[in-house]
Amino acid sequence: MRSLTPSLKAKAVLTVLFFALLSNASGQKRYTLSGTIREASSNETLIGATIALPELKTGTTTNEYGFYSITLPAGEYQLWISSLGFEDVRQTILLDKDLSLDLFMQEAAEQLEEVVVSEDVEKLDIRKPQMSVNTLAVSTIKQIPVVLGEADVIKSLVLLPGVTNAGEASSGFNVRGGATDQNLILLDEAIIFNSSHLFGFFSVFNPDAIKDIKLYKGGIPARYGGRVSSVLEIFQKEGNSKELKVQGGIGAVASRLLMEGPIKKEESSFLVGGRASYAHLFLPLFDIDNRAYFYDVNTKLNFKLNARNNLYLSGYFGRDLFSINERFINVYGNGVGNLRWTHLFSDKLFSNLSLIYSDYYYGLELDFVGFRWNSGIQNFNLKYDLKHYVNDKLQINYGLNNIYYVFNPGEIEPNRPDSGIIEEQLTKKYANESAAYIDIEQELADGLRVNYGLRASHFDRLGQDEFFVYENDNPVEFDPFLLVYQEATPIDTVNPGRSGSLKRFFNLEPRVSVSWSFNGKSAIKASATRMAQYLHLISNTSSPTPLDVWTPSGPFVEPQLVDQYAAGYFRDINNGAYSLEIEGYYKDIDNRIDYIDGADLIANEAIERVILNGEARAYGLEFLLRKNSGDFTGWLAYTLSRSEQRTPGRDLGIDNGRSGLETGINRGEWYVTPFDKTHDLSLFGNLEISPRFSINANFVYQTGQPTNFPVGQFDFQGISVPIYGFRNQQRLPDYHRLDLSAKLLTKQKPGSSFQGEWVFSIYNAYNRMNAASINFRQNNDTGVNEAVRTSIFGIVPSVTYNFKF
Amino acid sequence: MRKALQLLLLLVVLASCEDVIEVEVPAEEARLVIDAIIRVDTSETLIRPAIKVTRSTSFFEEAQPVSNITQMTISLLGTNGTGDDFLVLEETEAGSGIYQDPEAVLVDSLVVGRLLLQIEHEGRLYFAETQYVPSVQIDNLQQGDDTLFSEDDTEVIVEITDTPGEDNFYVFDFGFSEFLTIQDQFFEGQSFEFSYFYETELDSGQELEISVLGADQGFFDYMTLLVEQTQADGGVFQTPVATVRGNIFDVTDLDNDQVVDNVGQPDVFPLGYFAVVQEFKSQLTLQD
Repeated sequence: MRSLTPSLKAKAVLTVLFFALLSNASGQKRYTLSGTIREASSNETLIGATIALPELKTGTTTNEYGFYSITLPAGEYQLWISSLGFEDVRQTILLDKDLSLDLFMQEAAEQLEEVVVSEDVEKLDIRKPQMSVNTLAVSTIKQIPVVLGEADVIKSLVLLPGVTNAGEASSGFNVRGGATDQNLILLDEAIIFNSSHLFGFFSVFNPDAIKDIKLYKGGIPARYGGRVSSVLEIFQKEGNSKELKVQGGIGAVASRLLMEGPIKKEESSFLVGGRASYAHLFLPLFDIDNRAYFYDVNTKLNFKLNARNNLYLSGYFGRDLFSINERFINVYGNGVGNLRWTHLFSDKLFSNLSLIYSDYYYGLELDFVGFRWNSGIQNFNLKYDLKHYVNDKLQINYGLNNIYYVFNPGEIEPNRPDSGIIEEQLTKKYANESAAYIDIEQELADGLRVNYGLRASHFDRLGQDEFFVYENDNPVEFDPFLLVYQEATPIDTVNPGRSGSLKRFFNLEPRVSVSWSFNGKSAIKASATRMAQYLHLISNTSSPTPLDVWTPSGPFVEPQLVDQYAAGYFRDINNGAYSLEIEGYYKDIDNRIDYIDGADLIANEAIERVILNGEARAYGLEFLLRKNSGDFTGWLAYTLSRSEQRTPGRDLGIDNGRSGLETGINRGEWYVTPFDKTHDLSLFGNLEISPRFSINANFVYQTGQPTNFPVGQFDFQGISVPIYGFRNQQRLPDYHRLDLSAKLLTKQKPGSSFQGEWVFSIYNAYNRMNAASINFRQNNDTGVNEAVRTSIFGIVPSVTYNFKF
Repeated sequence: MRKALQLLLLLVVLASCEDVIEVEVPAEEARLVIDAIIRVDTSETLIRPAIKVTRSTSFFEEAQPVSNITQMTISLLGTNGTGDDFLVLEETEAGSGIYQDPEAVLVDSLVVGRLLLQIEHEGRLYFAETQYVPSVQIDNLQQGDDTLFSEDDTEVIVEITDTPGEDNFYVFDFGFSEFLTIQDQFFEGQSFEFSYFYETELDSGQELEISVLGADQGFFDYMTLLVEQTQADGGVFQTPVATVRGNIFDVTDLDNDQVVDNVGQPDVFPLGYFAVVQEFKSQLTLQD
């Protein structure tokens, strides 16, 4: 039999959908059960809480706003409601009309008894088609020991398979061999451009303010777009609308305080939290005056207008400052403001309208040359999402999204009156990204579920004041004799004006995931995803500083396109006590940019002159075994993977009967990316010795990061110059580390709500000197060449005190 | 006008724990290294340019001079495309690897037209072309008392005035093998003052001689890369490391009638650079 033609396939999909809708109309009378699930003590909505109907073997989960809706045949049913860290709720309902039912759950830990977390959100849900997702409860994140005792979202995610970072002092994280700029980081649906404080020592998310964290590594639903590697979605708490609560912590590096409470009881609430590190953090490292600190503020206001309407206002503001002797000052950070309105059109149709402003600032001041450089990116994001709960077997999500960007590559100004620096505004760039999506979650047969969708994205690189024109539209010239790439000199500078468009891109991004669960314990899942990314981070990955200059796609830079395929086997062992996940993936990325030798990225007005378009690919196998219940919980994660890129030379187009190619990067051969890690192993365990005392440990091992060692040296003008060969041909020594921590809850006085907690931790317990880099240099005093290893942290013990009342 | 101030690369972000370790480094085949930077003092009448030839080694070995150059000439490219040799360079002292013409030439003869360097060594023919680039005077040179990374830092404050109306590039030679490259993007036509902090520890009473060399974009890019790759800290805004290729290439197997590129032999090349640049010097004695 011949395969179906594309149009036939489309018809087949539509037919399935039609029958699914039809089945709704026929048969027995059906009614809708809907409502929100909240935490009883605070009215905080619960994300991902499960409502199961054992008689019908069906169920649903709450969405990002705690809302659920399920349409069922009339009847009397048992409801089992569960969520991590909460007491299960069992209730019987009589469904003889549409029913609105708000449910409240008690926090299990409050009883201070032996808690058996039976329904764990971290435990995999074998029935959902969603795969390649890492979920971590905030309580787990707070258990994981990290350097200097601060609980950290990203440092915890890195312990899961498929997620790595470059070790200490590296910004961001890499998912499945992708670059750090390929992660879509959403905080209350607003895009965050930099996820790190203090060069990667901390992530920008205050764990006290966070409710839910989800990392999609693959099988990304169509409602997300704009990045090709992963989606990290973080929701902040809404704030306690019943009573005023305070929590905080005093640590070795930073302290934090968070307050939440009702504005009007049961109807509106606020949350405000702040964190700040102590200045002079790195003072002991130098014998001169220098400062390094960060702070951030999280706020959220929540107004329940009526049963069908909610209004949320949330904000985040964070800044990092690093200064050496007031002569070198680097300031950067995100600011995000977000207004959201959720509206229930009916008990089956949930909508969310978001208006988001996000701003990323990066500034540098160099006093010794009298130079100040301010750059940044601003975006205005309008989002409208609808979730249509058609019946218990079908949910349709659809929506629109429009983002307007302003890129400021830099404003250069003198920092003092006697500076010779001339004020200059590098030409600002503008772009508009719009998208429409439809995303369908459907149960086709018992145990067979699909999630399929399509995202149509459009990117318009808008006009700007000055635009360079190059001969043959080629901004990077190749010298065919010296075999080096050079910046081209523009032949003209035009003013296209702000009204026009420089270039437009349109991409269709189909997404599909299928899950087949059988014998109630096992599932096989597979997904195929296509995604487009229109923004590029201009950054040299080997550098520890977050040089975060983003540039939009346009006439010289094509959008990044990824096709990812993943398949996996999932199994519950021993009735959920253990779970096993094995996943394989393959990714193919078009238009991954690479830099020419000697590319200079600071205050670069014409970034197109130092970049070449290339491609990338990554593949790997991930293994995760978790122990979900009992006194001892934890996991073993292992990833075997490879991540490569290639930048072939372009055709020289020589018109003399022979053809030739430019030499490209590394002669156009595939080479490993700076974030390639062949082996990545993490082991995390938590042992609860008593309800008040627990100890935990984690061990990580990963293949050393690719780097460059000199293949020789030569003498020029008295300088001993190392000769480097192809990029990323050697590796740093393997990275491994063991961290330990212990957590002790203080005794609670009767009648007092005050609860204290001590966290003692030891980072890098056996004092491994992991190399962050190896530099090759000529010793200034002896004139002898040497290799110098830089390690960031040896053994670091620390104590943190946390409290809440 | 696109490169930022190269000074940024001088900074270290985290002076964490550093130690010298043993590393096994791969070794590439030795290459010929031609150091043909001819610094021209235009206040003189005569000049005797010197070119140094060495051989590259593995990273932890000492560079070796090359004495068996069979021919080395610098010629002025005529309008008809043929060279007119006016310098024939020979090794001045056996085993030194330094080549000079026994006769001095007029400075004026170097500052006009296109200059060709041709070298013959072990049956291979090397070729480079350049043109004289002027520089500017150091208006003011003084010692500063600020420090950047440690109390022992030595600061010097240099002031120059950029030539207006054109893109200019400057290469500063601070002595002690310390170089700095600057381009005039952000101080076009202005008087410009900046601080330089020595990597080398210096004592008071030390005599410093600081030169500013003219540079075209090619020489500037070359020196920038050399300086970056030599920076011991790995560079804060590090660019990808690479073999720094200069403007001298191996033309042995190239036939100008047939082959107009070099992509067929990407691994055949010497190292080094040929440039003829104006130099201005300024001196300073370090005080306490």
